[in-house]
Amino acid sequence: MRNKSIKIRKRLESSSRVFLLLCGAISVFTVILITIFIVQQGLPTFKTVPIKEFLFSTDWSPSADIPHYGVASFVVASIEVTLLSMIFALPIALSSAIYLSEFAKGRFAKILRSGIELLAGIPSIIYGLFGIAVVVPFVRNFIGGNGYSLLSASIILAIMILPTIINFSEVSIKAVPDELKAASIAMGATTWQTIYRVTVPSALSGIVSSIILALGRAIGETTAVVLVGGNAPIFSTNPIDMGRTLTMNIITDMSYAEGVHMSALFATAMLLFIFILLLNLIVVAIMRKERLDG
Amino acid sequence: MKKLFTILTVLTMATTFVFAGGSKETSTPNNVEMTNYTFGGSSTVAPIANAAIAGFEIQNAGVKVTYETTGSSVGIKNLLSGTFSLAGSSRELKNDEVTSGAYKTKIALDGITVAVNKSVSISNLSMKQLANIFAGNITNWKEVGGDDMPIELVVRDETSGTYGSFTEIVIQDTLGKDATQAKKAIVAKENGEVATKIASTPGAIGYIGMGFASIVTDKSGKELSIDNELPTINNVLDKKYPISRALYVVTMNAPKEGTIEKAFIDYLLSTAGQDMVAEKQFIPVN
Repeated sequence: MRNKSIKIRKRLESSSRVFLLLCGAISVFTVILITIFIVQQGLPTFKTVPIKEFLFSTDWSPSADIPHYGVASFVVASIEVTLLSMIFALPIALSSAIYLSEFAKGRFAKILRSGIELLAGIPSIIYGLFGIAVVVPFVRNFIGGNGYSLLSASIILAIMILPTIINFSEVSIKAVPDELKAASIAMGATTWQTIYRVTVPSALSGIVSSIILALGRAIGETTAVVLVGGNAPIFSTNPIDMGRTLTMNIITDMSYAEGVHMSALFATAMLLFIFILLLNLIVVAIMRKERLDG
Repeated sequence: MKKLFTILTVLTMATTFVFAGGSKETSTPNNVEMTNYTFGGSSTVAPIANAAIAGFEIQNAGVKVTYETTGSSVGIKNLLSGTFSLAGSSRELKNDEVTSGAYKTKIALDGITVAVNKSVSISNLSMKQLANIFAGNITNWKEVGGDDMPIELVVRDETSGTYGSFTEIVIQDTLGKDATQAKKAIVAKENGEVATKIASTPGAIGYIGMGFASIVTDKSGKELSIDNELPTINNVLDKKYPISRALYVVTMNAPKEGTIEKAFIDYLLSTAGQDMVAEKQFIPVN
């Protein structure tokens, strides 16, 4: 009797382990499936479009008599808005993270924290509409151009990536051992000197990871930027000009595309996928280095 | 999360494409003989044709119709060579096509409204002015009698039917076959977005399928008259408003009673078919 129940329990245990493993495998399987599909749909592009033209031409005119599929302007625009948004977001985010981890106490800290959490939970379409209503007129009236611009897209993205940087950086700053800080203070350093000489450098790998995760979020964002970026398929490095990023290009043309045009959109997705993969690999490398060092 | 969702959406679409071909066959019982028909042609007609085909296949069990989007000219060529048994066309037939036996039936009208932001003081443009504005040759409102203000173009995505129609009727018919719309323009994905961006951008001008014009005027945009004709359904029906054209389906000779093509055309011209025409933002003919 007792033997039997142990057997059942053992079987139950091993079967639940298999179940958990299967669940874990699903996500890995999904990633593999996605990769296969995007590559399978995207690769045929290069039968008709030379890969050199695809990558380095700025001429995207899929419905012209002689169609051209060059995504160079979109690559440049993607990188430009991502870097600009990081320049806008980083000082604010880092300062917030330092404040939250080192100084904030009590009710005010709670309010601040839930505000940042709320920021992370707002759907991107809302950011897009906010952009049309507030950021676009602001850029038009105070900076120039018609307002729909790479700059407007960067400002929106900067707000969107704030919570990512703040939350991750705060955690890694908090993880810096108190002994280090105490030692610094004991050596006669001021609080401020301690923060920028000891605390932040010690948390650097975590901060860098948070920045790279935020870069990934920024480069992949679609809905919000397509509403404020102008979406014109032109090459321009001036931030107040209109522009189109990789994600904007995919979502703009998806509804009616067919044939080579459709596979060119999948090839665009492939490119985006490679960018995000690279960013994630960098994060993994940093994390691993930290584990080895720590 | 967002990223993953986007990728998953793409994935779902991809699987749909892969499996779309086979699903029909397997769901059909073996004892029903499938008869396949291939139609094709204009991409502007495609949304109407595909909606009508879906309804038509429900009414006629065992009939499987596909519509291949090839463009009007290739569609008619394929009709004459026998590849298609019915072609969709968004242009008039040429003389040699008619003598070869092509026969057109009008199924819908297509009209496009041009609208401007309320800051623009003019209310009429000639076709030539309009073409030069959207080709990027005229960039300030003062060149067409308005105030000194830069013109901000709001256009549709390049593969949409509205973009194609506008390019053909306004730009290419006025400035020549090689002319295209300027690339330096705000690109909007759908009619609502066009309306919002015209309404919120000073100096903006854009175009929108006639059926959707009210959403621009609702947001305080202004409809322009072209060559002094306002975009009304009556002006399109009377051929007074210039940015309009008829959409046809073309058959070899007049469609004969009892053929699937005749039945399909009757379906397109029935109340149900014409409702689909209106639903796809075109003007019904019946």
